[in-house]
Amino acid sequence: MSLATAPAHGIAGLLGRPYKTLRLEWSSDLRVLRARMQVRPIQCYSLAAMGELQQVFNDLSNNPGLARHFVLSSDVPKVFNFGGDLSLFVLLVRARDIDSLRLYGGRCVDLIWWVEHAAQLGIHTIALAQGDTLGGGLESVLPFHRVVFEKSTQAGFPEVLFNLFPGMGAWDFTVRRAGMAVASEMILSGRLFSADELLYRRLVDIVAEDGQGELVIEQVIHEVEPRHRGTMAALRAHRLSSPIRRESLDAIVDHWAECALTLTDRDLRLMERLARAQVRKAGGAEEGAVEEIKRMELDTAWGERRTGMDRRDTGAADRRVLS
Amino acid sequence: MPAFFGQLITATDEDRRAFETHPAVVDAVANGMTIERYRKFLLELYHVVWHFNPVCATAASRLPDTWASVRMFLYEHMHEEAGHEQWVLNDLEAVGVGRDEAQAHAPSPYTLALNGFNYWAPERRHPCAVLGMLYSLEVISSVYGSPFAAAIRESLLLEGDRGVSFIASHGSLDTQHMAELRQVLNPLEGDEAQAAIIEAVRVNFHHFTHILAEV
Repeated sequence: MSLATAPAHGIAGLLGRPYKTLRLEWSSDLRVLRARMQVRPIQCYSLAAMGELQQVFNDLSNNPGLARHFVLSSDVPKVFNFGGDLSLFVLLVRARDIDSLRLYGGRCVDLIWWVEHAAQLGIHTIALAQGDTLGGGLESVLPFHRVVFEKSTQAGFPEVLFNLFPGMGAWDFTVRRAGMAVASEMILSGRLFSADELLYRRLVDIVAEDGQGELVIEQVIHEVEPRHRGTMAALRAHRLSSPIRRESLDAIVDHWAECALTLTDRDLRLMERLARAQVRKAGGAEEGAVEEIKRMELDTAWGERRTGMDRRDTGAADRRVLS
Repeated sequence: MPAFFGQLITATDEDRRAFETHPAVVDAVANGMTIERYRKFLLELYHVVWHFNPVCATAASRLPDTWASVRMFLYEHMHEEAGHEQWVLNDLEAVGVGRDEAQAHAPSPYTLALNGFNYWAPERRHPCAVLGMLYSLEVISSVYGSPFAAAIRESLLLEGDRGVSFIASHGSLDTQHMAELRQVLNPLEGDEAQAAIIEAVRVNFHHFTHILAEV
Protein backbone atom coordinates (compact mmCIF):
# COMPACT_ATOMS: atom_id res chain seq x y z
CA MET A 1 0.00 0.00 0.00
CA SER A 2 3.04 2.19 0.29
CA LEU A 3 3.85 2.10 -3.40
CA ALA A 4 4.63 5.37 -5.02
CA THR A 5 1.67 6.60 -7.01
CA ALA A 6 3.54 8.72 -9.53
CA PRO A 7 3.03 7.29 -13.02
CA ALA A 8 5.70 4.88 -14.17
CA HIS A 9 7.46 5.77 -17.40
CA GLY A 10 7.89 2.82 -19.71
CA ILE A 11 8.57 -0.75 -18.77
CA ALA A 12 11.61 0.15 -16.65
CA GLY A 13 9.45 2.37 -14.46
CA LEU A 14 6.78 -0.31 -14.17
CA LEU A 15 9.18 -3.13 -13.33
CA GLY A 16 11.22 -0.92 -11.03
CA ARG A 17 8.56 -0.56 -8.36
CA PRO A 18 9.14 -2.41 -5.08
CA TYR A 19 6.57 -5.21 -5.33
CA LYS A 20 6.09 -7.52 -2.39
CA THR A 21 3.20 -9.70 -3.53
CA LEU A 22 3.88 -9.81 -7.26
CA ARG A 23 6.73 -11.05 -9.43
CA LEU A 24 6.72 -9.34 -12.80
CA GLU A 25 8.36 -10.58 -15.99
CA TRP A 26 8.62 -8.78 -19.28
CA SER A 27 9.13 -10.32 -22.70
CA SER A 28 10.08 -7.51 -25.03
CA ASP A 29 9.78 -9.48 -28.27
CA LEU A 30 6.01 -10.02 -27.99
CA ARG A 31 5.49 -7.32 -25.34
CA VAL A 32 4.11 -9.74 -22.77
CA LEU A 33 3.83 -8.67 -19.15
CA ARG A 34 3.51 -11.57 -16.75
CA ALA A 35 2.40 -11.06 -13.16
CA ARG A 36 2.86 -13.94 -10.76
CA MET A 37 1.13 -13.50 -7.44
CA GLN A 38 3.03 -14.52 -4.32
CA VAL A 39 1.02 -13.55 -1.27
CA ARG A 40 2.72 -15.79 1.26
CA PRO A 41 2.02 -17.93 3.09
CA ILE A 42 -1.69 -17.69 2.28
CA GLN A 43 -2.31 -16.72 -1.32
CA CYS A 44 -5.31 -14.42 -1.18
CA TYR A 45 -6.38 -10.95 -2.25
CA SER A 46 -4.96 -9.02 0.68
CA LEU A 47 -5.26 -5.24 0.60
CA ALA A 48 -1.55 -4.97 -0.24
CA ALA A 49 -1.81 -7.52 -3.06
CA MET A 50 -4.77 -5.70 -4.56
CA GLY A 51 -2.95 -2.38 -4.22
CA GLU A 52 0.06 -3.70 -6.10
CA LEU A 53 -2.02 -5.28 -8.85
CA GLN A 54 -3.99 -2.06 -9.24
CA GLN A 55 -0.70 -0.18 -9.50
CA VAL A 56 0.38 -2.45 -12.36
CA PHE A 57 -2.94 -1.86 -14.09
CA ASN A 58 -2.64 1.90 -13.60
CA ASP A 59 0.87 1.84 -15.04
CA LEU A 60 -0.34 -0.12 -18.05
CA SER A 61 -3.16 2.39 -18.56
CA ASN A 62 -0.68 5.27 -18.30
CA ASN A 63 1.62 3.69 -20.88
CA PRO A 64 -0.68 2.93 -23.82
CA GLY A 65 0.75 0.48 -26.31
CA LEU A 66 3.41 -0.74 -23.90
CA ALA A 67 2.05 -4.27 -23.40
CA ARG A 68 0.15 -6.38 -25.90
CA HIS A 69 -0.47 -9.32 -23.57
CA PHE A 70 -0.99 -9.54 -19.82
CA VAL A 71 -0.78 -12.92 -18.08
CA LEU A 72 -1.77 -13.49 -14.46
CA SER A 73 -0.68 -16.65 -12.67
CA SER A 74 0.56 -17.77 -9.27
CA ASP A 75 4.01 -18.37 -7.83
CA VAL A 76 2.57 -20.43 -4.98
CA PRO A 77 2.63 -24.17 -5.78
CA LYS A 78 -0.78 -25.81 -6.16
CA VAL A 79 -2.68 -22.63 -5.29
CA PHE A 80 -3.87 -19.99 -7.74
CA ASN A 81 -5.76 -17.94 -5.20
CA PHE A 82 -7.95 -18.58 -2.17
CA GLY A 83 -9.88 -15.38 -2.83
CA GLY A 84 -10.75 -12.90 -0.13
CA ASP A 85 -8.65 -12.29 2.96
CA LEU A 86 -10.82 -14.28 5.39
CA SER A 87 -9.18 -12.91 8.53
CA LEU A 88 -9.81 -9.38 7.31
CA PHE A 89 -13.46 -10.29 6.63
CA VAL A 90 -13.83 -11.70 10.14
CA LEU A 91 -12.29 -8.52 11.55
CA LEU A 92 -14.57 -6.23 9.54
CA VAL A 93 -17.71 -8.23 10.27
CA ARG A 94 -16.92 -8.34 13.99
CA ALA A 95 -16.29 -4.59 13.95
CA ARG A 96 -19.60 -4.08 12.07
CA ASP A 97 -17.62 -2.00 9.58
CA ILE A 98 -19.80 -1.94 6.49
CA ASP A 99 -17.86 0.97 4.98
CA SER A 100 -14.61 -0.99 4.93
CA LEU A 101 -16.38 -4.09 3.60
CA ARG A 102 -17.71 -1.93 0.75
CA LEU A 103 -14.26 -0.43 0.26
CA TYR A 104 -12.71 -3.91 0.01
CA GLY A 105 -15.38 -5.05 -2.44
CA GLY A 106 -14.97 -1.85 -4.44
CA ARG A 107 -11.24 -2.44 -4.80
CA CYS A 108 -11.91 -5.96 -6.08
CA VAL A 109 -14.38 -4.58 -8.60
CA ASP A 110 -11.86 -1.93 -9.71
CA LEU A 111 -9.46 -4.74 -10.59
CA ILE A 112 -11.91 -6.84 -12.57
CA TRP A 113 -13.26 -3.71 -14.23
CA TRP A 114 -9.78 -2.95 -15.58
CA VAL A 115 -9.43 -6.49 -16.91
CA GLU A 116 -12.91 -6.26 -18.43
CA HIS A 117 -11.79 -3.23 -20.43
CA ALA A 118 -8.21 -4.25 -21.18
CA ALA A 119 -9.01 -4.73 -24.88
CA GLN A 120 -9.71 -1.00 -25.10
CA LEU A 121 -6.05 -0.51 -24.19
CA GLY A 122 -5.02 -3.06 -26.79
CA ILE A 123 -4.09 -5.61 -24.15
CA HIS A 124 -4.97 -9.27 -24.53
CA THR A 125 -5.42 -10.91 -21.11
CA ILE A 126 -4.81 -14.51 -20.05
CA ALA A 127 -5.24 -16.14 -16.63
CA LEU A 128 -3.45 -19.37 -15.80
CA ALA A 129 -4.62 -21.36 -12.75
CA GLN A 130 -2.39 -24.22 -11.66
CA GLY A 131 -4.04 -25.00 -8.35
CA ASP A 132 -6.87 -24.24 -5.94
CA THR A 133 -8.98 -21.33 -7.18
CA LEU A 134 -11.60 -20.41 -4.65
CA GLY A 135 -14.19 -17.67 -4.24
CA GLY A 136 -12.66 -14.35 -5.20
CA GLY A 137 -9.81 -16.23 -6.84
CA LEU A 138 -12.27 -17.69 -9.34
CA GLU A 139 -14.14 -14.40 -9.71
CA SER A 140 -10.89 -12.66 -10.56
CA VAL A 141 -10.12 -14.85 -13.59
CA LEU A 142 -13.55 -14.67 -15.21
CA PRO A 143 -13.09 -11.31 -17.01
CA PHE A 144 -9.85 -12.47 -18.67
CA HIS A 145 -10.04 -13.05 -22.41
CA ARG A 146 -8.61 -16.55 -22.05
CA VAL A 147 -8.86 -18.67 -18.93
CA VAL A 148 -6.50 -21.64 -18.79
CA PHE A 149 -6.71 -24.23 -16.01
CA GLU A 150 -4.31 -27.07 -15.45
CA LYS A 151 -6.13 -30.36 -15.14
CA SER A 152 -5.87 -30.92 -11.38
CA THR A 153 -7.10 -27.43 -10.53
CA GLN A 154 -10.23 -27.33 -8.41
CA ALA A 155 -12.40 -24.25 -8.24
CA GLY A 156 -15.67 -23.02 -6.88
CA PHE A 157 -17.59 -20.47 -4.89
CA PRO A 158 -17.74 -21.88 -1.33
CA GLU A 159 -19.16 -18.71 0.25
CA VAL A 160 -22.69 -20.09 0.64
CA LEU A 161 -21.32 -22.69 3.06
CA PHE A 162 -20.87 -19.90 5.58
CA ASN A 163 -24.06 -18.08 4.53
CA LEU A 164 -22.46 -15.55 2.22
CA PHE A 165 -22.15 -15.34 -1.55
CA PRO A 166 -19.38 -14.25 -3.91
CA GLY A 167 -20.01 -10.52 -4.32
CA MET A 168 -17.29 -9.26 -6.63
CA GLY A 169 -18.45 -10.17 -10.09
CA ALA A 170 -19.27 -13.88 -9.78
CA TRP A 171 -22.88 -13.56 -10.93
CA ASP A 172 -22.34 -11.19 -13.85
CA PHE A 173 -19.24 -12.85 -15.25
CA THR A 174 -20.37 -16.45 -14.71
CA VAL A 175 -23.70 -15.70 -16.36
CA ARG A 176 -21.97 -14.12 -19.34
CA ARG A 177 -19.52 -16.99 -19.75
CA ALA A 178 -21.71 -19.95 -18.92
CA GLY A 179 -25.32 -18.87 -18.49
CA MET A 180 -27.65 -18.42 -15.55
CA ALA A 181 -28.13 -22.15 -14.86
CA VAL A 182 -24.41 -22.73 -14.38
CA ALA A 183 -24.04 -19.55 -12.30
CA SER A 184 -26.89 -20.67 -10.06
CA GLU A 185 -25.52 -24.18 -9.80
CA MET A 186 -22.06 -22.99 -8.82
CA ILE A 187 -22.93 -20.12 -6.51
CA LEU A 188 -25.86 -21.75 -4.73
CA SER A 189 -24.22 -25.14 -4.20
CA GLY A 190 -20.88 -23.90 -2.90
CA ARG A 191 -19.36 -27.06 -4.31
CA LEU A 192 -15.99 -27.39 -5.95
CA PHE A 193 -15.55 -28.28 -9.60
CA SER A 194 -12.74 -29.91 -11.50
CA ALA A 195 -11.07 -28.16 -14.41
CA ASP A 196 -12.81 -30.50 -16.84
CA GLU A 197 -16.21 -29.81 -15.28
CA LEU A 198 -15.59 -26.10 -15.68
CA LEU A 199 -14.46 -26.58 -19.27
CA TYR A 200 -17.67 -28.47 -19.96
CA ARG A 201 -19.62 -25.55 -18.51
CA ARG A 202 -17.63 -23.09 -20.66
CA LEU A 203 -16.32 -21.22 -17.63
CA VAL A 204 -12.80 -22.21 -18.56
CA ASP A 205 -11.50 -21.92 -22.12
CA ILE A 206 -8.66 -24.42 -22.09
CA VAL A 207 -7.63 -27.28 -19.82
CA ALA A 208 -3.94 -28.08 -19.98
CA GLU A 209 -2.31 -31.19 -18.62
CA ASP A 210 -0.60 -30.59 -15.29
CA GLY A 211 2.73 -28.90 -15.88
CA GLN A 212 1.76 -27.87 -19.41
CA GLY A 213 0.01 -24.60 -18.55
CA GLU A 214 3.02 -22.45 -19.34
CA LEU A 215 3.37 -24.07 -22.75
CA VAL A 216 -0.30 -23.48 -23.49
CA ILE A 217 0.10 -19.80 -22.53
CA GLU A 218 2.92 -19.51 -25.06
CA GLN A 219 0.75 -21.18 -27.70
CA VAL A 220 -2.16 -18.82 -27.00
CA ILE A 221 0.06 -15.77 -27.27
CA HIS A 222 1.63 -16.96 -30.52
CA GLU A 223 -1.80 -17.76 -31.90
CA VAL A 224 -3.19 -14.31 -31.09
CA GLU A 225 -0.10 -12.27 -31.92
CA PRO A 226 -0.32 -12.27 -35.75
CA ARG A 227 -3.94 -11.11 -35.56
CA HIS A 228 -3.67 -9.05 -32.39
CA ARG A 229 -5.32 -5.91 -33.78
CA GLY A 230 -8.31 -7.78 -35.15
CA THR A 231 -8.62 -9.87 -32.01
CA MET A 232 -8.66 -6.76 -29.84
CA ALA A 233 -11.29 -5.16 -32.07
CA ALA A 234 -13.40 -8.31 -31.90
CA LEU A 235 -13.05 -8.56 -28.12
CA ARG A 236 -14.10 -4.94 -27.70
CA ALA A 237 -17.15 -5.74 -29.79
CA HIS A 238 -17.74 -8.82 -27.64
CA ARG A 239 -17.87 -6.60 -24.56
CA LEU A 240 -20.26 -4.25 -26.34
CA SER A 241 -22.54 -7.11 -27.31
CA SER A 242 -22.62 -8.58 -23.80
CA PRO A 243 -21.87 -5.66 -21.53
CA ILE A 244 -21.29 -6.00 -17.83
CA ARG A 245 -22.64 -2.95 -16.02
CA ARG A 246 -20.48 -1.31 -13.38
CA GLU A 247 -23.69 -0.27 -11.60
CA SER A 248 -24.64 -3.92 -11.25
CA LEU A 249 -21.21 -4.84 -9.84
CA ASP A 250 -21.30 -1.96 -7.36
CA ALA A 251 -24.85 -2.73 -6.26
CA ILE A 252 -23.92 -6.36 -5.65
CA VAL A 253 -20.92 -5.28 -3.56
CA ASP A 254 -23.28 -3.14 -1.45
CA HIS A 255 -25.63 -6.09 -1.04
CA TRP A 256 -22.70 -8.39 -0.22
CA ALA A 257 -21.46 -5.99 2.49
CA GLU A 258 -24.93 -5.78 4.02
CA CYS A 259 -25.23 -9.59 3.99
CA ALA A 260 -21.78 -9.95 5.56
CA LEU A 261 -23.03 -8.04 8.57
CA THR A 262 -25.79 -10.60 9.05
CA LEU A 263 -23.31 -13.45 9.48
CA THR A 264 -23.74 -15.23 12.79
CA ASP A 265 -21.04 -16.42 15.14
CA ARG A 266 -21.50 -19.91 13.70
CA ASP A 267 -20.98 -18.58 10.16
CA LEU A 268 -17.84 -16.76 11.26
CA ARG A 269 -16.56 -19.91 12.94
CA LEU A 270 -17.00 -21.77 9.65
CA MET A 271 -15.07 -18.99 7.93
CA GLU A 272 -12.37 -19.30 10.59
CA ARG A 273 -12.34 -23.06 10.05
CA LEU A 274 -11.62 -22.46 6.38
CA ALA A 275 -8.96 -19.88 7.22
CA ARG A 276 -7.34 -22.35 9.60
CA ALA A 277 -7.31 -24.99 6.88
CA GLN A 278 -5.51 -22.53 4.61
CA VAL A 279 -2.99 -21.95 7.39
CA ARG A 280 -2.52 -25.70 7.87
CA LYS A 281 -1.69 -26.16 4.20
CA ALA A 282 0.63 -23.15 4.29
CA GLY A 283 2.30 -24.84 7.25
CA GLY A 284 3.03 -27.92 5.15
CA ALA A 285 -0.02 -30.13 5.78
CA GLU A 286 -1.28 -32.28 2.93
CA GLU A 287 -4.88 -31.16 3.30
CA GLY A 288 -6.03 -27.56 3.10
CA ALA A 289 -8.98 -25.40 2.21
CA VAL A 290 -10.27 -27.63 -0.60
CA GLU A 291 -10.52 -30.66 1.68
CA GLU A 292 -12.08 -28.51 4.41
CA ILE A 293 -14.72 -27.24 2.00
CA LYS A 294 -15.57 -30.83 1.10
CA ARG A 295 -15.93 -31.65 4.79
CA MET A 296 -18.05 -28.53 5.32
CA GLU A 297 -20.29 -29.58 2.46
CA LEU A 298 -20.89 -32.87 4.23
CA ASP A 299 -21.16 -31.33 7.68
CA THR A 300 -23.75 -28.81 6.69
CA ALA A 301 -25.70 -31.56 4.95
CA TRP A 302 -26.44 -29.25 2.12
CA GLY A 303 -28.18 -32.09 0.43
CA GLU A 304 -26.99 -30.61 -2.83
CA ARG A 305 -29.93 -31.25 -5.05
CA ARG A 306 -28.63 -31.84 -8.47
CA THR A 307 -29.56 -29.09 -10.86
CA GLY A 308 -29.73 -31.40 -13.78
CA MET A 309 -26.37 -30.31 -15.09
CA ASP A 310 -24.28 -33.22 -16.19
CA ARG A 311 -21.14 -33.47 -14.13
CA ARG A 312 -19.42 -35.97 -16.33
CA ASP A 313 -15.90 -35.44 -17.41
CA THR A 314 -16.41 -34.96 -21.11
CA GLY A 315 -12.87 -34.35 -22.18
CA ALA A 316 -14.33 -31.64 -24.40
CA ALA A 317 -11.49 -31.94 -26.86
CA ASP A 318 -13.11 -29.39 -29.17
CA ARG A 319 -12.24 -26.61 -26.72
CA ARG A 320 -8.64 -27.66 -26.23
CA VAL A 321 -7.81 -26.16 -29.55
CA LEU A 322 -4.29 -25.31 -28.58
CA SER A 323 -3.21 -28.39 -26.67
CA MET B 1 -11.58 9.26 2.52
CA PRO B 2 -12.85 6.40 4.72
CA ALA B 3 -13.58 6.98 8.39
CA PHE B 4 -10.59 6.58 10.68
CA PHE B 5 -11.30 2.95 11.58
CA GLY B 6 -11.11 2.09 7.87
CA GLN B 7 -7.95 4.15 7.48
CA LEU B 8 -6.42 2.33 10.44
CA ILE B 9 -7.25 -1.08 8.99
CA THR B 10 -5.74 -0.13 5.64
CA ALA B 11 -2.64 1.51 7.13
CA THR B 12 -1.86 -1.45 9.40
CA ASP B 13 -3.13 -4.37 7.33
CA GLU B 14 0.36 -5.57 6.46
CA ASP B 15 1.30 -5.40 10.16
CA ARG B 16 -1.72 -7.60 10.95
CA ARG B 17 -0.74 -9.94 8.16
CA ALA B 18 2.88 -10.01 9.36
CA PHE B 19 1.53 -11.34 12.66
CA GLU B 20 -0.87 -13.77 10.97
CA THR B 21 1.73 -15.12 8.56
CA HIS B 22 4.71 -15.39 10.93
CA PRO B 23 5.83 -19.04 10.85
CA ALA B 24 5.41 -19.37 14.63
CA VAL B 25 1.83 -18.09 14.45
CA VAL B 26 1.04 -20.21 11.39
CA ASP B 27 2.34 -23.27 13.21
CA ALA B 28 0.48 -22.45 16.43
CA VAL B 29 -2.84 -21.90 14.65
CA ALA B 30 -2.36 -24.94 12.42
CA ASN B 31 -0.94 -27.43 14.90
CA GLY B 32 -1.33 -25.97 18.37
CA MET B 33 1.60 -26.12 20.79
CA THR B 34 3.42 -28.53 23.03
CA ILE B 35 2.46 -28.26 26.69
CA GLU B 36 5.81 -26.65 27.47
CA ARG B 37 5.40 -23.94 24.86
CA TYR B 38 1.80 -23.30 25.82
CA ARG B 39 2.80 -22.85 29.48
CA LYS B 40 5.49 -20.38 28.45
CA PHE B 41 3.01 -18.53 26.26
CA LEU B 42 0.46 -18.23 29.07
CA LEU B 43 3.16 -17.00 31.45
CA GLU B 44 3.99 -14.20 29.02
CA LEU B 45 0.32 -13.54 28.35
CA TYR B 46 -0.33 -13.18 32.07
CA HIS B 47 2.09 -10.28 32.22
CA VAL B 48 0.53 -8.64 29.16
CA VAL B 49 -3.00 -8.95 30.54
CA TRP B 50 -1.94 -7.80 34.02
CA HIS B 51 -0.77 -4.47 32.57
CA PHE B 52 -3.78 -3.96 30.31
CA ASN B 53 -5.88 -1.94 32.73
CA PRO B 54 -2.99 0.02 34.30
CA VAL B 55 -1.99 1.12 30.77
CA CYS B 56 -5.59 2.18 30.08
CA ALA B 57 -5.63 4.07 33.40
CA THR B 58 -2.38 5.82 32.52
CA ALA B 59 -3.86 6.98 29.23
CA ALA B 60 -7.20 7.96 30.77
CA SER B 61 -5.43 10.10 33.35
CA ARG B 62 -3.81 12.10 30.56
CA LEU B 63 -6.89 12.68 28.43
CA PRO B 64 -8.36 16.16 28.88
CA ASP B 65 -12.09 16.84 28.52
CA THR B 66 -11.69 17.46 24.80
CA TRP B 67 -11.21 13.67 24.65
CA ALA B 68 -13.88 12.86 27.23
CA SER B 69 -15.57 10.28 25.00
CA VAL B 70 -12.34 8.29 24.75
CA ARG B 71 -11.80 8.55 28.50
CA MET B 72 -15.33 7.30 29.22
CA PHE B 73 -14.77 4.45 26.78
CA LEU B 74 -11.60 3.50 28.63
CA TYR B 75 -13.40 3.53 31.98
CA GLU B 76 -16.05 1.12 30.65
CA HIS B 77 -13.43 -1.03 29.01
CA MET B 78 -11.36 -1.25 32.18
CA HIS B 79 -14.45 -2.30 34.09
CA GLU B 80 -15.11 -5.11 31.63
CA GLU B 81 -11.51 -6.30 31.60
CA ALA B 82 -11.00 -6.09 35.35
CA GLY B 83 -9.72 -9.33 36.82
CA HIS B 84 -9.17 -11.09 33.52
CA GLU B 85 -5.56 -11.81 34.47
CA GLN B 86 -7.11 -14.26 36.95
CA TRP B 87 -8.50 -16.20 33.99
CA VAL B 88 -4.97 -16.63 32.67
CA LEU B 89 -3.88 -17.84 36.10
CA ASN B 90 -6.74 -20.36 36.06
CA ASP B 91 -5.61 -21.59 32.64
CA LEU B 92 -2.05 -21.85 33.89
CA GLU B 93 -3.22 -23.94 36.84
CA ALA B 94 -5.13 -26.18 34.46
CA VAL B 95 -1.91 -26.92 32.57
CA GLY B 96 0.15 -27.44 35.70
CA VAL B 97 1.61 -24.04 36.58
CA GLY B 98 0.87 -22.74 40.07
CA ARG B 99 -0.06 -19.14 40.85
CA ASP B 100 3.15 -18.43 42.72
CA GLU B 101 5.22 -19.61 39.81
CA ALA B 102 3.20 -17.52 37.37
CA GLN B 103 3.46 -14.37 39.42
CA ALA B 104 7.19 -14.89 39.95
CA HIS B 105 7.84 -15.43 36.24
CA ALA B 106 10.27 -12.94 34.72
CA PRO B 107 8.69 -11.69 31.47
CA SER B 108 10.65 -12.01 28.26
CA PRO B 109 12.34 -8.94 26.75
CA TYR B 110 9.57 -8.67 24.13
CA THR B 111 6.87 -8.70 26.81
CA LEU B 112 8.77 -6.03 28.71
CA ALA B 113 9.17 -4.05 25.49
CA LEU B 114 5.45 -4.34 24.71
CA ASN B 115 4.38 -3.22 28.16
CA GLY B 116 7.06 -0.55 28.27
CA PHE B 117 5.94 0.90 24.95
CA ASN B 118 2.28 0.84 25.96
CA TYR B 119 3.04 2.91 29.09
CA TRP B 120 5.41 5.21 27.22
CA ALA B 121 3.24 6.00 24.17
CA PRO B 122 0.30 7.68 26.04
CA GLU B 123 2.79 9.82 27.92
CA ARG B 124 5.21 10.78 25.16
CA ARG B 125 3.22 10.39 21.92
CA HIS B 126 -0.47 10.94 22.58
CA PRO B 127 -2.84 9.48 25.21
CA CYS B 128 -5.00 8.09 22.38
CA ALA B 129 -2.13 5.71 21.53
CA VAL B 130 -3.77 3.37 24.01
CA LEU B 131 -6.49 2.78 21.40
CA GLY B 132 -3.81 1.25 19.19
CA MET B 133 -3.00 -1.25 21.92
CA LEU B 134 -6.69 -2.04 22.32
CA TYR B 135 -7.19 -2.44 18.59
CA SER B 136 -4.29 -4.80 18.00
CA LEU B 137 -4.89 -6.97 21.06
CA GLU B 138 -8.59 -7.21 20.27
CA VAL B 139 -7.91 -8.08 16.65
CA ILE B 140 -5.57 -10.81 17.85
CA SER B 141 -8.13 -12.19 20.29
CA SER B 142 -11.33 -11.75 18.25
CA VAL B 143 -9.95 -12.88 14.88
CA TYR B 144 -7.33 -15.41 15.88
CA GLY B 145 -8.41 -16.36 19.42
CA SER B 146 -10.98 -19.00 18.49
CA PRO B 147 -8.86 -20.85 15.88
CA PHE B 148 -5.86 -20.75 18.23
CA ALA B 149 -7.94 -22.07 21.14
CA ALA B 150 -9.26 -24.86 18.88
CA ALA B 151 -5.72 -25.79 17.87
CA ILE B 152 -4.53 -25.82 21.50
CA ARG B 153 -7.50 -27.97 22.55
CA GLU B 154 -6.73 -30.48 19.78
CA SER B 155 -3.00 -30.60 20.35
CA LEU B 156 -3.20 -30.89 24.15
CA LEU B 157 -6.41 -32.92 24.26
CA LEU B 158 -8.05 -30.37 26.56
CA GLU B 159 -11.78 -30.58 27.25
CA GLY B 160 -14.11 -27.62 26.83
CA ASP B 161 -12.58 -24.33 27.92
CA ARG B 162 -10.33 -25.92 30.53
CA GLY B 163 -6.87 -24.42 30.05
CA VAL B 164 -8.01 -22.13 27.21
CA SER B 165 -10.70 -20.08 28.97
CA PHE B 166 -8.99 -16.73 28.46
CA ILE B 167 -8.27 -17.21 24.76
CA ALA B 168 -11.54 -18.93 23.90
CA SER B 169 -13.73 -16.47 25.78
CA HIS B 170 -11.98 -13.42 24.38
CA GLY B 171 -12.46 -14.84 20.91
CA SER B 172 -16.19 -14.20 21.35
CA LEU B 173 -16.17 -11.43 24.02
CA ASP B 174 -14.09 -9.13 21.88
CA THR B 175 -16.61 -9.32 19.06
CA GLN B 176 -18.66 -6.64 20.77
CA HIS B 177 -15.51 -4.80 21.81
CA MET B 178 -14.41 -4.46 18.18
CA ALA B 179 -17.70 -2.83 17.24
CA GLU B 180 -17.45 -0.46 20.20
CA LEU B 181 -13.86 0.37 19.38
CA ARG B 182 -14.84 1.23 15.81
CA GLN B 183 -17.42 3.68 17.14
CA VAL B 184 -14.77 5.37 19.29
CA LEU B 185 -12.15 5.47 16.55
CA ASN B 186 -14.31 6.62 13.64
CA PRO B 187 -14.91 10.22 14.75
CA LEU B 188 -11.37 10.60 16.09
CA GLU B 189 -9.60 13.57 14.53
CA GLY B 190 -6.14 15.07 14.81
CA ASP B 191 -3.00 14.00 13.00
CA GLU B 192 -1.00 13.53 16.18
CA ALA B 193 -3.56 11.25 17.80
CA GLN B 194 -4.11 9.24 14.63
CA ALA B 195 -0.38 8.81 14.01
CA ALA B 196 0.14 7.67 17.61
CA ILE B 197 -2.63 5.06 17.25
CA ILE B 198 -1.23 3.73 13.98
CA GLU B 199 2.25 3.51 15.49
CA ALA B 200 0.91 1.71 18.56
CA VAL B 201 -0.90 -0.84 16.40
CA ARG B 202 2.31 -1.57 14.50
CA VAL B 203 4.40 -1.92 17.63
CA ASN B 204 1.83 -4.12 19.39
CA PHE B 205 1.48 -6.50 16.44
CA HIS B 206 5.25 -6.64 16.07
CA HIS B 207 6.06 -7.28 19.72
CA PHE B 208 3.18 -9.72 20.26
CA THR B 209 4.35 -11.70 17.24
CA HIS B 210 7.79 -12.01 18.80
CA ILE B 211 6.41 -12.88 22.22
CA LEU B 212 4.66 -15.82 20.58
CA ALA B 213 7.66 -16.71 18.45
CA GLU B 214 10.04 -16.72 21.41
CA VAL B 215 8.16 -19.18 23.60
